[in-house]
Amino acid sequence: MRQSLEELIELHQKSLYAAAFSVCRNIDDANDAVQDTFIQYYTSKKQFHDGEHLKAWLLRVAINRAKDISGSFWKRNRISIEDCTNELPFENREEHALFEEVMKLPEKYREVIHLYYYEDLSAKEIARILRITEGSVKMRLSRGRSFLRDVLKEEES
Amino acid sequence: MTDKERYQKVFDTVSSFGMEHLEADKFMKKTKKHAYMGTAAAIAAALLIAGSTGVAYAANVGGIQRTIQLWIHGDQTDAELVIGENGEYNVTWQKEDGSAQTIGGGGIAIEADGTERPLTDEEIMEELYMPEVEYKDDGTVWVYYYDQEIEITDMFEDGICRVKLINGNDTLYMTVKYDNGYSVSRDKYPDPDSFN
Repeated sequence: MRQSLEELIELHQKSLYAAAFSVCRNIDDANDAVQDTFIQYYTSKKQFHDGEHLKAWLLRVAINRAKDISGSFWKRNRISIEDCTNELPFENREEHALFEEVMKLPEKYREVIHLYYYEDLSAKEIARILRITEGSVKMRLSRGRSFLRDVLKEEES
Repeated sequence: MTDKERYQKVFDTVSSFGMEHLEADKFMKKTKKHAYMGTAAAIAAALLIAGSTGVAYAANVGGIQRTIQLWIHGDQTDAELVIGENGEYNVTWQKEDGSAQTIGGGGIAIEADGTERPLTDEEIMEELYMPEVEYKDDGTVWVYYYDQEIEITDMFEDGICRVKLINGNDTLYMTVKYDNGYSVSRDKYPDPDSFN
């Protein structure tokens, strides 16, 4: 199956932006990664089994593009993460603190934490998107949560 | 509120603050323009990148950088080619899953009189346009050459397959040893014993 670009942008742009931002921690780079992802879809002939398969592919492309952009020499980084954090209109201190702590995580924990908490994906689904083992996902999730223990309230199950 | 709900609220704020809203119509026009420019770049590459368009000195990598078009598994793809001072080169392109793929090669050519020289642009481009062989997970074997995709799975006899590849006026004779390399020549099929 294929979907129109219009539908995809409507359905997934926010998710892809959030995922890309969680990796590259930069507004311009995240927007570039999302745009590249839709270009990749538009120019690719790839067929998808269903909407979930398509979304998983889009997330993988956006995350990989964000990694490439943030690791490249040409990355723009017009706004530092510190400046950006101060400008974000969070409602309270708790939200501000949660964002700051997530941004401090090493990238490999950050991407897993994001897919689990924001996309509500299982360890198995995250493993497929990131092309790592389910065991690695669980380990990164557990370590990531331990870094975030001061800002997350629920006990790890 | 659960941790997931709190996390989602935080990143919804992040998205609403910095995300540039894309409009499909404008976006597609931009993409088509990009694709057209890519075709122009391909013509430049076919002319052995003699012109100055798109050529820049890449100070960070110590060489000349330019955008070319490569044939990757039968599809034409924009790629960044960086040629170092000694003729070594790296080519980077974006794979279908969004990650970057880099291959490298080149270096020194040895002349008949034993003198060494860096590879020329022409030789590098010729190397980049050589056919490639892929062994897929489903057991099939494919040869890719420019826009051609040829399945050779059933063409092996005693582990050897010979394929004639034609692109315009250019003909290549290719010998593939199953899972053990391949060789090409413009004159005749290479002897399987002459490589690997």
